[in-house]
Amino acid sequence: MSVQGTAGPGGPGRAEAEARVLGEVTEDLREVIGEEYVIDMDITMETTFSHDLEVESIEFVALADRLRERYGEAVDFVGFLATMDVDQVINMRVGEVVRFIVDSLPAPAVAGSA
Amino acid sequence: MAEVIANGVRLHVQRLEPRGGASADSPIVVMVHGMVMDNISSFYFSLGTCLADAGCDVICYDLRGHGRSERPRGGYRLADSMADLAGLLDALGVDRPVHIVGNSYGATLALAFGLEFTARVASLTLIEPPFLIEGLGEEMARSLSQILVAMTDDEVQEWLDNGAGRAISRATRAAQRLLSETTVATDMLETPPFSAEALAALGVPVLAVYGENSDIIGQAAGLAALVPDCTLIVLEHHTHMVLREATGYLRNLLRWWLFDRRTPPPPYVREADRRFATPEWVTQMVPPPDLNAGRRPAVS
Repeated sequence: MSVQGTAGPGGPGRAEAEARVLGEVTEDLREVIGEEYVIDMDITMETTFSHDLEVESIEFVALADRLRERYGEAVDFVGFLATMDVDQVINMRVGEVVRFIVDSLPAPAVAGSA
Repeated sequence: MAEVIANGVRLHVQRLEPRGGASADSPIVVMVHGMVMDNISSFYFSLGTCLADAGCDVICYDLRGHGRSERPRGGYRLADSMADLAGLLDALGVDRPVHIVGNSYGATLALAFGLEFTARVASLTLIEPPFLIEGLGEEMARSLSQILVAMTDDEVQEWLDNGAGRAISRATRAAQRLLSETTVATDMLETPPFSAEALAALGVPVLAVYGENSDIIGQAAGLAALVPDCTLIVLEHHTHMVLREATGYLRNLLRWWLFDRRTPPPPYVREADRRFATPEWVTQMVPPPDLNAGRRPAVS
């Protein structure tokens, strides 16, 4: 049988889902910034957009655009950003975006029992 | 969709919609940012995502020469900016009147667009518009010269090279390129004054917002007196940067304006201990005395 919800908080698939999404966000970040320093940087869940990456606010617009395209309607980036002002957005850690995406995506069906 | 060719120029556009998509009767809101030291991101994060989440079909874009839009050498007169906006609406297939929200120069552009393309406009929200019946071109050029003075200062250059950080340096250098590689400064000088007769006949509701401590607060009363359907909101203790300073209130105000205008506007409650004043270097047109002061270790 298959079960849903393994990517929920603490579920066995959560760490794998976060690692996969972190890789995807990192790929988009590197393309948006496009400079050498970010190619070499080890981007983790704790990396900050402002202090570590020194992202310009318009680069975050471009990142959100790519992520919206990548994940489609499943991830409501507009709703996510609507409650924050620009300083709160830029002061986020990469992990906050990753966790929001993982929380939004439908959990993959995997083999096994509950 | 991120790029649109409008009026022969490649413009960077972001369309923001509520979850599930906009409907046929969702208000279409177009946001127009300010000149030179500004781009799509100021509206995207302050009002764009918020109003889309509230049910609007939001269009944010970078003006020509700004942000991620193309930077042609010429075409920075007000008439060019209006043609760009009309071309953008055409390219996006927008066929019903839109609510335009403009900040600073973007607000002046919005008002001019409302006069020229009245049938395409449902309402105008003008945040800190430079507005004059006489000498508007000189006023726009004065604003630009403030930026130019600040940017060409040696101390500012040193700060950009050594202490400003990547994000501020990139934004400032983009503005420097716009000013040095295009005709924007001379084109601004040609900005025609508004016609009092045309304004008196404007059949579009206007919401005007100024900061009490703005260097152009003196222009607010003239605008409100001339435009027949004008709601003027003056926010105490705020400056020309009111979009950034009072984002929370402006979100409430715009939700009221777009969805609930039959009721009184939401009251403004100033956040405790927050007071904004226009720095003297802006009003006196001299460069800031020491931009590095905040970054140097205190000497006791």
